[in-house]
Amino acid sequence: MERCAVVGIGQSKYSKRSAEHSIDGLVRVAALRALEDAELTFKDIDAIVIGKAPDALEGVIMPELSLADALGAVGKPIHRVHTAGSVGASTAISACTLVESGMYERVLTVCYEKQSDGNATWALGGGRSGSQGAGGSFAPWIRQYIANSGAPEHIGWKVAVKDRKNALRNPYAHLHLPDISIEKVKESPMLWDPLHFLESCPSSDGAAAMVLTNSAGARRAPRPPAWVIAHAKRTETIQFPGRDTVKPQAGVECAKALYKKAGITDPRKQIDCAELYVPFSWYEPMWLEGHLLCEEGEGWKLTDSGATELGGDFPVNMSGGVLSSNPIGASGMIRCLEAASQVRGTAGDYQVEGARIALGHAYGGGANYFAMWIVSSEPAPTF
Amino acid sequence: MEDIAIVAFAQTKSYRRFPESEPALLMGLVNQVLSETGLERREIDFTIAGSCDYLSGMPFAFISNVDAFGAWPPVYESHVEMDGAWALFEGFVRLQIGDIDTCLVAGSGKSSPGRPREIFPLQGDPYYHAPLGLDPVSMAGLQAQRLLDAGKATERDFAEVVSRSRRDGLANPYAQVAADVSPDELLKAPYYASPLRKHDLPPISDGAAIVLLARGDRARALSRTPVWIRGIDHRIESHHPGLRDLTDLPGLRTSAKKLAIHSAPIDVAELCVRYSPEEVVIRDALGLGRDTRVNPSGGPLCGHPVMATGLTRVVEAARRIASGEARRAIAHAASGAALQQNLLCVLEGGA
Amino acid sequence: MSLPPRQFTLEYPYTRTVGPVVGKFLTGLRDGRLFGIRCRGKVICPPVESDPETGETLAHDFVPVGPGGVVESFTWIAEPTRKHPFQRPFAFALIRLDGADTPIVHAVSADGPEAMAKGLRVRAQYRDERKSAITDVYFVPEAGSRDSFVPTGEGEVQITDHLISLVYEEPLTASRERYAKGLLAGKFIGQKSPVSGKVFVPSSGYDPLERCLMTEQDDVELPTTGTVVGFTVITPVQYYGQKETEPYIRASVLLDGADTPLGQQDIRDIPVGEFRVGLRVRAEFRPPAQRNVDELSNRWAGTGSCIARWVPTGEPDVPLEQLKGGLF
Repeated sequence: MERCAVVGIGQSKYSKRSAEHSIDGLVRVAALRALEDAELTFKDIDAIVIGKAPDALEGVIMPELSLADALGAVGKPIHRVHTAGSVGASTAISACTLVESGMYERVLTVCYEKQSDGNATWALGGGRSGSQGAGGSFAPWIRQYIANSGAPEHIGWKVAVKDRKNALRNPYAHLHLPDISIEKVKESPMLWDPLHFLESCPSSDGAAAMVLTNSAGARRAPRPPAWVIAHAKRTETIQFPGRDTVKPQAGVECAKALYKKAGITDPRKQIDCAELYVPFSWYEPMWLEGHLLCEEGEGWKLTDSGATELGGDFPVNMSGGVLSSNPIGASGMIRCLEAASQVRGTAGDYQVEGARIALGHAYGGGANYFAMWIVSSEPAPTF
Repeated sequence: MEDIAIVAFAQTKSYRRFPESEPALLMGLVNQVLSETGLERREIDFTIAGSCDYLSGMPFAFISNVDAFGAWPPVYESHVEMDGAWALFEGFVRLQIGDIDTCLVAGSGKSSPGRPREIFPLQGDPYYHAPLGLDPVSMAGLQAQRLLDAGKATERDFAEVVSRSRRDGLANPYAQVAADVSPDELLKAPYYASPLRKHDLPPISDGAAIVLLARGDRARALSRTPVWIRGIDHRIESHHPGLRDLTDLPGLRTSAKKLAIHSAPIDVAELCVRYSPEEVVIRDALGLGRDTRVNPSGGPLCGHPVMATGLTRVVEAARRIASGEARRAIAHAASGAALQQNLLCVLEGGA
Repeated sequence: MSLPPRQFTLEYPYTRTVGPVVGKFLTGLRDGRLFGIRCRGKVICPPVESDPETGETLAHDFVPVGPGGVVESFTWIAEPTRKHPFQRPFAFALIRLDGADTPIVHAVSADGPEAMAKGLRVRAQYRDERKSAITDVYFVPEAGSRDSFVPTGEGEVQITDHLISLVYEEPLTASRERYAKGLLAGKFIGQKSPVSGKVFVPSSGYDPLERCLMTEQDDVELPTTGTVVGFTVITPVQYYGQKETEPYIRASVLLDGADTPLGQQDIRDIPVGEFRVGLRVRAEFRPPAQRNVDELSNRWAGTGSCIARWVPTGEPDVPLEQLKGGLF
């Protein structure tokens, strides 16, 4: 097996509407930045992998066809992954396997969403009236988590404030809310009880890209590579009798497979920081438990203790996370590339000092799709 | 390179309208390949599917298909919003890493609920093409006319493709449309999107196909007649019809060369000929001789389950190798109007 | 007697920001002019943002082209679709506009296929009502063309509208039809897996855990009583096609005897303060003449407009521990 490393990262500035760009222009912003970071050009790329969420978000079917020219793909292999909200991370993993297989040396991978062209709530509801949106699906399960764990109501508000405060340090983040506070979150309108407006992700336009290469390429790279030391995906049937939607087994097994591959036995201690897919505040404690970063029922306590703050013991969503930017198709890739930035030491004002091992994660669908990776500043870290 | 083989395969008929759901369409095929190989569901290391939400008009439609594959206990699986042939590509790549042994590949689609000619313009550039309703049939017409203008084909050539394909379809139990009609008879029909006549178009179909891949010795253990995938490659052309020569497929030429398809005789070529003139373009790009057996299944002109059509070419080629009828075959899949994107694989029997 | 096939229209008025290159072209259309872009010495029309061969960003070196041009190739569309620019036969053509090196694909309005030919000169015509879209222009044989004055507009086009409307029609699957008819008869019809014995309502026609298809023989009728297993209060977001305006409860109810809950139940008659997980409820069906399953399809289950309301039965709540799992 070939090794895979991230040698280039590029993002567009996430916003409600990328008003100055066409779809071509938007994906090129990220792609060109990633290539520039890697000091490569389109000519150097052997294959392209793109990913995005449902085509109905933009009303463009199978966009690899209309974006072939914009992504320098003419004459090359390009394919498009779609795994609902987890797609960004699934795409990163797919691109990684192209390198690991030995079949392709340099792979450009891009995920995006230009959802301001359409309407996310409309698309997520299948184009019908009465769409409950993503939040409407998850809210009942969040209620269940709160009931099971006895968590106090402020936990969600605390996450919402933490992630937006982190986002102030991230020039690419969509939401820059310098006045964010617990009171503001609490007072914001209720969208899907118990989630207030400010506990929910924004609807964003944006594109994120990475250049992946093998060990030889990584050693030649102009800037420190982020080595992919493990990746895992797990899916479970979306509806079946007795399904646990609060702590899905697919999430638990995905984490177990991931840690095993990485040689990690104590994830909370051995992972330095994590970018977790938290589109609704309560998913921070839920994924801390759901991915075995803490014991069941302890996730909210970890959050409450401040451990997941930027300066804490286990920083989560240093970039501001999905709560601060959510171009749906790209969000999973953003988690993966932010993890990579941390171990490359390029995370600027939200850099976790000495981050050596970082986790990137995404989930999607009815919380039945999971995709995760672990990156390191070293090709073969020991624990 | 790891040795990867197709150890089992299955396809549904092409239906004008399948009365049950897409997961139901797939479920029988999954059970069939598992039963054939004696594998338990948990012994499938990776599952990868291809489908397109817009066929059914339902964002996230692909999630229901997971029910057909079985995902409890949780499984390692992924999905491409493309023909199952590109899922095959993902599966092949994944197995090359050498840490897993088996992979279930699927492609499925029901075109019956929608109006394909109204849906597929949305594959076109959203600013310059889609609002014109520029559909694949019209693009195929343009491509066909370019062929005629360049002297690379005649209308009779198109009719001969249709005649041969639909006649071959008579022997294919999975075919939806088959008939014994002579080229002369076909040429009497009026134009629909000139120079295409209605018979030059594929039918509208519902259908699915599945392929089970295995690596090395595992493949040999699972099948007495493994069909080895000697190579797989895919490439895309420019999207704008004005920026490419519609009569040629440089990317496919590259694939053919890279896979050295002519390094040994090709007994069967299953090509994704959705519109009869496409056969001329594909054959030319692949450098296939007149005597190469093309589409003994009848090809997509006899059944076009969109998102499974390309994978079905692989199934049809694999079938003939597994039966001993052919020793070596190529299978081709296409995506996008006027053959914008092409995938090629080389299949071979033997130990 | 079969229920009629379900029709569904997937429709949204997309509003696309176009960027400076497509924007230049569409601004040109608004003003009755055509533009290409220079790429390594050649003029590409319509203008693109990057070099198709190298992927490099093109400088905004726009070149006026047309209004006349030559048909390089065409196809005569005998039966236009509803999405085509003309609802009578017309041609799609590759047109190399004067001054351009590459052809644009667009529509030509002509009297018949005999009026079209390779090498025919055509000329751009602008629609009187232009919408800053590619459809603002079309082409006609130059001989029959008219010169029209197109006033120049203000500013640059930044947004183009694209109403996408697709119609789907699908008969109900056998099991979904029986479920729908059950609702019309005031009953909940589910299916019991012949392998596991688990009861699914509504059923998808198969047991996803056992991967087995189910038939009419597996149908079971369920009581109209059940337990609330999950809910949220939705404050509707306004979007195209949205009919909801006031907050409402959306709940999942596990019917007695079922193993999967009935989702998408909108509760408007029980106050939020009285609604809770574990609440015992009973479905009150509408009078038969008012029951309607038009909204029910293969992809969307729910209960159509058959249930008037869910009412509390007055029984003690089911303890939460008994409800672990199965919220969805």
